[in-house]
Amino acid sequence: MASRSLDICIIDDEIVVCKRLQQALTNDGHLVETFVDSRSALERIKEKRFDVVVTDIRMDEIDGMEVLAAVTEKGEDTKVIMITGYATIEIAREATIRGAFDFLSKPFKPNDLREMLVAAAKTLEVHDRP
Amino acid sequence: MTGPDTGEPPSSSSLSDILKQGLEREGLGHEREDRARLALLQRPRFTIRARLGLLFLALFLVSAIMASAGWLILAGVEYRLRYVTATDVFANEIQQARRYEKNFFLYRSELSEVLQHLDAADLLLRQAAEDIGPVVGFAEMTTIRAHLSRYRHSIDELIARNRQEDFSGSTDFKTLETSLRDDGSRMVSLALDISKKERAQISSLISVIQKVFILTSVFLLFLLLYVALHLSRHIISRLDRLMAATQRIATGDFSPILPQRKYRDEFSYLTIALNHMMQELEQRQDVLVESHKIRAVGNLTAGIAHELNNPLNNIMLTSEMLKEDYAKLDDEARLDMVNDLIEQAERARSIVKNLLDFVRESEVKREQLHLHNLLEETLRLAGNQIKLNKVKLELEVHPNLPPVYGDRSLLRQLFLNLLLNALDAMPTGGKLTFKASEEKEVGFLAIKVVDTGTGIPAHLLRAIFDPFFTTKPTGKGTGLGLSVSQGIARHHGGNIEVDSTPGQGTTFTVHLPFVTIPAELKVSRNSNGSSVGSI
Repeated sequence: MASRSLDICIIDDEIVVCKRLQQALTNDGHLVETFVDSRSALERIKEKRFDVVVTDIRMDEIDGMEVLAAVTEKGEDTKVIMITGYATIEIAREATIRGAFDFLSKPFKPNDLREMLVAAAKTLEVHDRP
Repeated sequence: MTGPDTGEPPSSSSLSDILKQGLEREGLGHEREDRARLALLQRPRFTIRARLGLLFLALFLVSAIMASAGWLILAGVEYRLRYVTATDVFANEIQQARRYEKNFFLYRSELSEVLQHLDAADLLLRQAAEDIGPVVGFAEMTTIRAHLSRYRHSIDELIARNRQEDFSGSTDFKTLETSLRDDGSRMVSLALDISKKERAQISSLISVIQKVFILTSVFLLFLLLYVALHLSRHIISRLDRLMAATQRIATGDFSPILPQRKYRDEFSYLTIALNHMMQELEQRQDVLVESHKIRAVGNLTAGIAHELNNPLNNIMLTSEMLKEDYAKLDDEARLDMVNDLIEQAERARSIVKNLLDFVRESEVKREQLHLHNLLEETLRLAGNQIKLNKVKLELEVHPNLPPVYGDRSLLRQLFLNLLLNALDAMPTGGKLTFKASEEKEVGFLAIKVVDTGTGIPAHLLRAIFDPFFTTKPTGKGTGLGLSVSQGIARHHGGNIEVDSTPGQGTTFTVHLPFVTIPAELKVSRNSNGSSVGSI
């Protein structure tokens, strides 16, 4: 399924989400870093360029929208995938308008994310080529 | 956690359970009302109409007695008047007769005139005896008649002997003259005596009549005053009681009115009707509280669905990965994932249970409650909603607060209503503070719910507890939240006050009486109904 290895950053205050997504994506051959705490994730994003950032929208302190803002501000070609629960779907739609690549509604399966990553990898390749 | 919870009620709520509880509660209300109605009806009946009837009967009897007494006395007066007239005429005739008799002795004139007057007097006496009868002065009449016949006899003898020569000088003539004078003057003085005596009688009878009239008037006046006062006090005291009852109803106390007086009257039926109305109101109120509870839950839906999606998502991801990597994972890793599954399932269960506990508990059950637990349960229920609204929450509960005695579900609903209102008032986030402290002097606990929201304009403050009053757009608010909350607070012997500064925020203060009865005593009384305490 994996077209190429991607640098992926996963941010969710649910530790189980971090653990399982890391497991799934590492299996696929991606490089995965996970953060339960969005503040340290933001610091890491400042240091390192990721191909894809997968972030939960509702988190204490810094929420997904701020993460999105930080990534887009950096100006690099990083795809942001938002994870949304029931109550934040409107915010997720707004996020796609503001430049997010796509959003995932909880509960989702690992394959849902995988399909999205494939799509993200494709656009990244298209951009990489010239 | 997985062991059988025999002590707890089953966590799945079935509709029939709720319905059954509702019916039982309804039955309880009916029973209470029935008992009050029975007590009201069992008293002997003595209606206001009957009281009025009795009063008028008494008035009629008094007047009738007075009238007949007056009539009897007047009849007596009339008899005596006729007698007096007769004796006066009689005395007059005798005096006339005596004048001729004197003329005879002075000038030797004719005696026939005397006889004429005596005849008239005799006729008068006989008529009077027939007319008046033996009612008055019978003895005197006989005496007078005896004198009259003797007088007549003497006159007859005088006429007969007068023809004889030198009779006028004889001793017989002298004796006749003396006897005539004696009988004549006796008759006149007797007749005048009788007349005088009877006049005195008449005037005393008239004064009796006057007294009877005055006394009855005074008696009637006092009787009427007493009855008027009694009746008005009777009616007014009942009206006052009913008015107090309606004020009680307004504060949400629906306990039936119980009989206080010995007799049953028209007001008893009004009281029964009021009791019935209160029972109906109570049922409506219960339904209202219940339906509003569901609405409050509706407002929580987004938060709860969101909260539920987290464990669901964890379960989905974990189970998918467990399936995917099953073969290549070692036992420890698998166990770790299975434990995650159990933990997340448990988390989902507790979210659902918390919600159901709130919705399902419809039976009013009073128990000792610690505010800390109560507020935490409420906040847990709405925790996610608070986070979603970007509201910062603070809970300041004084340690060692005495417990309150009340229904857990109702009080949770009260605080949830206030909480949801506060969230609505802070659409762009803010700070929500729950402060609980003791008002020792008055025996109350004060729970303040402070928000930093839009506030309520002063002119609306008075209306916010009214049913169906809402500032929210149509379809968003029922306008029942605060009304229901106030009802719950009053039901627990407390109340809710509001204070607001537009633009700065609103503070709702819930006052609830705290418990001072030792806990053990209450528990043992609740469990077996006896009054044996364990202290």
